[in-house]
Amino acid sequence: MSATAATDALPNAVASAEKPALIVDGLTTSIRIDRQWFDAVRDVSFAIHPRETLALVGESGCGKSLTALSVMGLLPAGVGRISSGRITVDGTDMTAASAAAAQAMRGDRIGMIFQEPMTSLNPVLPIGFQIAESLVQHRGMSARQARQRALELMELVRIPAAAQRLDAYPHQFSGGMRQRVMIAIALACSPKVLIADEPTTALDVTIQAQVLALLADLQRREGLAVLLITHNLGVVAAVADRVIVMYGGDVVESAPVNEFFRRPTHPYSEALLAAMPRVDRSAAALAPIPGQVPTLPDLPAGCRFQSRCPHRIERCAELPPLMPLAAMPAHGVRCWVRAP
Amino acid sequence: MSTGLSDRPPSAVPSGNALHAGTPTSAPLLEVRGLTKTFKERRGWPIPKTVAVRALDGVSFDVAHSEALGIVGESGCGKSTVARACLRLIAPDAGSVRFDGIDVRAASPSAMRMLRRRLQIVFQDPASALDPRQRIADAIGESIRVHGIARGNDVTTAVARLLDEVGLPSSAARRFPHEFSGGQRQRIGIARALALGPALVFADEPVSALDVSVQAQILVLLDELRHRRKLAFVFISHDLGVVRHFCQRVAVMYLGRLVEEGPVPTIFEDPLHPYTRLLKSSSPIPDPEHAVSLDLQEGEPPSPVDPPSGCHFHPRCPFVMEQCKAIAPPLLEVSSGRRVACHLFTAPTAASGNGAGAVAAAQ
Repeated sequence: MSATAATDALPNAVASAEKPALIVDGLTTSIRIDRQWFDAVRDVSFAIHPRETLALVGESGCGKSLTALSVMGLLPAGVGRISSGRITVDGTDMTAASAAAAQAMRGDRIGMIFQEPMTSLNPVLPIGFQIAESLVQHRGMSARQARQRALELMELVRIPAAAQRLDAYPHQFSGGMRQRVMIAIALACSPKVLIADEPTTALDVTIQAQVLALLADLQRREGLAVLLITHNLGVVAAVADRVIVMYGGDVVESAPVNEFFRRPTHPYSEALLAAMPRVDRSAAALAPIPGQVPTLPDLPAGCRFQSRCPHRIERCAELPPLMPLAAMPAHGVRCWVRAP
Repeated sequence: MSTGLSDRPPSAVPSGNALHAGTPTSAPLLEVRGLTKTFKERRGWPIPKTVAVRALDGVSFDVAHSEALGIVGESGCGKSTVARACLRLIAPDAGSVRFDGIDVRAASPSAMRMLRRRLQIVFQDPASALDPRQRIADAIGESIRVHGIARGNDVTTAVARLLDEVGLPSSAARRFPHEFSGGQRQRIGIARALALGPALVFADEPVSALDVSVQAQILVLLDELRHRRKLAFVFISHDLGVVRHFCQRVAVMYLGRLVEEGPVPTIFEDPLHPYTRLLKSSSPIPDPEHAVSLDLQEGEPPSPVDPPSGCHFHPRCPFVMEQCKAIAPPLLEVSSGRRVACHLFTAPTAASGNGAGAVAAAQ
């Protein structure tokens, strides 16, 4: 996936000839807590081209999953809503589309995989049927055609002895194999965009490596634009082309992947990397980030990281914009101290 | 790559049960020998069959005073069963567990009561380990009262002191578990484990459910406690980075067996067993220039219900030899304090005495 990471001179320079498959422009998503609405995602913008992987990173409650849910149109009604911004998938404005049109787009042009495959699969239906379902739904295939395509998809995601396992049930598969089934379902209608929300978090490390390799391989072959939601910076380094770090609903840093790890600039990005125990380094002192992420109603005005930031200045009471670094315009940082 | 081996050549022919020298000062705090546990399960429909899952297969290790031993391995390798069997939360089928010279398996109920004070456990998910209707003061104070360590107001004082030690305000005592974040709840879980003044704490994935920044806070706290209270830990984790950071020694498990064991710096710099190598190379590193190798290598971990013959790892092993399919390699000492269960390091190819050379050659 990172084969094109060398061309990181410009934002999204990866496939400038092609139009982005997914454009998120000024997305603000609010959620309701006790009859009050709070902005849980504020003014998030990005574009992903075919064959490009964008990683959204951050800790619980930073808004990364909520961003993905907004793109997928899966915000729980009455509790979450998109307050402003535009989401364009493969040239179609999803936010302006009718509910029925948006429903038709999901599963057809956007594929999704989630963290825990067991809760996403129906335990009482055979795997082959669950893969074929969206083909009947979105592509109007006959049951026989869809079953044939389901077999091809199971072979595509390298499930061994696929023909014998078409009629197997989810509990007969291991965690890694279930995630492969989820990927097959997501890819059934040849989507342009794949949203992967912590796709390997529940898997063992050796299986994680296999599933990530499979995703990278499929992305190349199918020309997918991938939005990867993860908390694991190691996974980001392995597969992403660009990184967006979120904190308290704000994008605090956005950079090409090599540039990000070479020069993590926002104090929060820096702190995240310093707090991560690494398998490739002997015990250096860990630097935990003091305190914890404030809950949504308690987030400070201005820069939301200021309450935990060691570099806080008076100006932090005012929200800094996402400013490009002078030396590297593709590298944006939301910080008065680091990107004045 | 042979840093761990070059300074001390492996002893000629170590006996099958050879264990590392341990700390020179005294006998180990915990001594586990040949621990074996088979779970029987009725499975299948319409005619259920009894299947045996060998969760532990002759596991032996030592833990020295105020030492943290990491046990790593993937789901189903038996690492949590080790903790449960050592604590007698489940009864092992065979093997011995000696804590400070006392035979844990044979301990009488009253002796076991004394042992419970000194052997404690911290669980992965503090939310499910705490009673949602019990105030923190009772969650921590209960064992203090039950064991008769303090009464009345002294319990309150003891709870306040424990809360302070784990970095929580004394006002936390009046509150309920749901009022705390994940990291704070894990601090409560730790305070509860400390309440009886243990010498050894089994920590079963204590930071796996936590965010990176909170995980680092808990690791720093555990490290402080280890030094201040001279606590020993058996630290169970699937995260090699966390183990490298926290532990002094590490044991790697695969399908119920120990496959490699030794000092943390040596094992992480120069893993010998092919499974340890696979684990290390699959662990993500936050550096795109040395990112984890993503091979499309097939091969799932086999089911513990029906483990492969010989060395359990042989179907996934890039260095597999004929004998690996038939004979399970014993865990042998290859250098001081370092044991490996792999034919590569006992086979004739390793006649030079340097097993790492065999792997290098095979590559």
